[in-house]
Amino acid sequence: MTVIAIDQDLCTGCQECVKVCPNLAIEGVPHKPQTLVEEKCVMCGQCVQKCKSYVSVAEHGFGAYEKVRKARGLPPTVTEPLFAAYNVCHLDEVLKALDDPKVETWVQSAPAVRVGIAEDFGAPLGTLAAGKLAAALRRIGFNKVYDVNYAADVTIMEEGSELIDRVTNKGLLPMFTSCCPAWVKYMELNYPELRHHLSTTKSPQQIQGALVKTYGAKNQKTDPKKIYSVSIMPCTCKQFESSRPEMADSGHRDVDVVITTRELAYLIKLKGIDFLNLPEEKFDLPMGDYTGAAEIFGVTGGVMEAALRTGYELITGKPIPSVDITAVRGPEGYREADIQVGDLTLKVGIVTGLKNVKPVLEALKAGKLDRHFVEVMTCPEGCVTGGGQPKLIVDKDFESAYKSRTDATYVHDKELPIRKSHENPSVKKLYETFLKKPLGEESHKLLHTTYCGDPKHGHGH
Amino acid sequence: MVNDFGLFVTTDTAKCTGCRACEMACFQSHNKKRNSVGRTVGTITTPVTAKLYVTVIETASMPIQCKHCENSPCKAVCKQQAIIRFGHQVIVDENKCIGCKDCLVACPFGAIALLPYYDKGQPVKQVGSTENKVAASKCDLCLDDADGPACVRACPNEALSVSDINEERKKKNIAAAEALAVINAGAPERRQL
Repeated sequence: MTVIAIDQDLCTGCQECVKVCPNLAIEGVPHKPQTLVEEKCVMCGQCVQKCKSYVSVAEHGFGAYEKVRKARGLPPTVTEPLFAAYNVCHLDEVLKALDDPKVETWVQSAPAVRVGIAEDFGAPLGTLAAGKLAAALRRIGFNKVYDVNYAADVTIMEEGSELIDRVTNKGLLPMFTSCCPAWVKYMELNYPELRHHLSTTKSPQQIQGALVKTYGAKNQKTDPKKIYSVSIMPCTCKQFESSRPEMADSGHRDVDVVITTRELAYLIKLKGIDFLNLPEEKFDLPMGDYTGAAEIFGVTGGVMEAALRTGYELITGKPIPSVDITAVRGPEGYREADIQVGDLTLKVGIVTGLKNVKPVLEALKAGKLDRHFVEVMTCPEGCVTGGGQPKLIVDKDFESAYKSRTDATYVHDKELPIRKSHENPSVKKLYETFLKKPLGEESHKLLHTTYCGDPKHGHGH
Repeated sequence: MVNDFGLFVTTDTAKCTGCRACEMACFQSHNKKRNSVGRTVGTITTPVTAKLYVTVIETASMPIQCKHCENSPCKAVCKQQAIIRFGHQVIVDENKCIGCKDCLVACPFGAIALLPYYDKGQPVKQVGSTENKVAASKCDLCLDDADGPACVRACPNEALSVSDINEERKKKNIAAAEALAVINAGAPERRQL
């Protein structure tokens, strides 16, 4: 399955993408079109964000744009420039499902989408648009406007419990987060012997997917066979994650299709929706109910902070002194913090930008990594800087875009009435009525996974 | 010092990778107001029309852009007076351009292209016609941008710079004088000849 591609007719061979590729997957010589080696590509899409080699009238002629647009399956309302490096778009599949009266379309969006999407309608970088996002999805015609943030709260319940279990029962440490699919792919490709350090908890997208067609279908008295589960992500790799053969624990394909933030902007424009003038609306209950802890999954250090907010209270039984755990925030590629949790000094590490993980993994192999829990995100400053986010016209805006999207994420966290995953009432209800307890039987069946090379994993990818 | 000549952008070909970031920045700078281009590519509703043209050859790449010639052949041949001198710079008035291509023929560098011309996100029509207009497009040194040429600022490799040819010539003169002075100082017998 091709996720990222480089158009040989457009590539000038500048090799700027080679500089940002975290796994040396782009090969070629200067001034000649580059080749993407799919076996090495972790599908993060940073090359897509970087590439400036566009279809131009001066270089390729008047008819070239339409030809490339059609070849990439983009709707006729797309007017933005098309570049040599691109991700394969699955919007046509979403449109087909939306037009099919026999299909129920249920949608989920990632936290980073709501701090990015408005930029493609001319709003300032990092404009927070959670309410308008929900309103837009409803007007597009999705039958249920759910949210991946709900599943992020569930992720914390499972991954937090997994960490506590590993720490108290002398399990394998450090535990690495597993919600970034490009990072998981990198681990499987380059350090398969370390894969058991990955949390077995699925990513929020895949947890939502597995719950939508089981708990969600039951809750809404809908036949899961009729549900077409759509995911909107800041990420180009999430389509790959959703199509991994094992991601079908609901008995169906858990997530049917993934589109990026940019492609959602195409869809909103195609439907003629005036995004910036939409009213603020809520996501549907119960699977669109979320806390501030879930929202910060979109920024580097966010999964760590969310896990600490819950882990602290589960371990000590007391409220955490400060909900804002600023020691784990920041844009540095690798940072460490020691957090006092009752009698335990929890040693944590945060990696952002996949190139920064190699020294950490080498330290682990050399027995020199003294950490309990390490968060890893592939993109420069977490998902808000993902390969599927609105693409900046000039590179000098990268920094301000990263900062403003991050700031908006923390603003949203602060304004939400509940900021700890274990206090999400809809998640509490999920455990009371369906999952029973974190790491329980249902959870193991639906919400946990194995990695490439594990005995029960089946064939490799 | 007094600058008597038109400034222009030059490229250090050892640094240029041919990435076309300069073209994207050029387009953004010229279309912020006219076509509401924002910070992300999703805000672009018209074809991207740059005023410089990245050219890739076997061994190098560089943007080709107007040198603002002092004896401008493009300006000389334009019968519509659509190409004018503004200060020391050579500027195209797209509204007057009829797309006759005389300037393209006259320019020895290919620094001018005929490109679609848009305003308020819509193609500008030919006078008295429903057909879309094209206009000569070439570097105007971002005269409307207080921060100077957008291409220079956007280059990820700092390959572009605004060249003041008089200043450059004086620097070369000084370097040459210093080199000659060293040679002469080391060969006193030459002075006696």
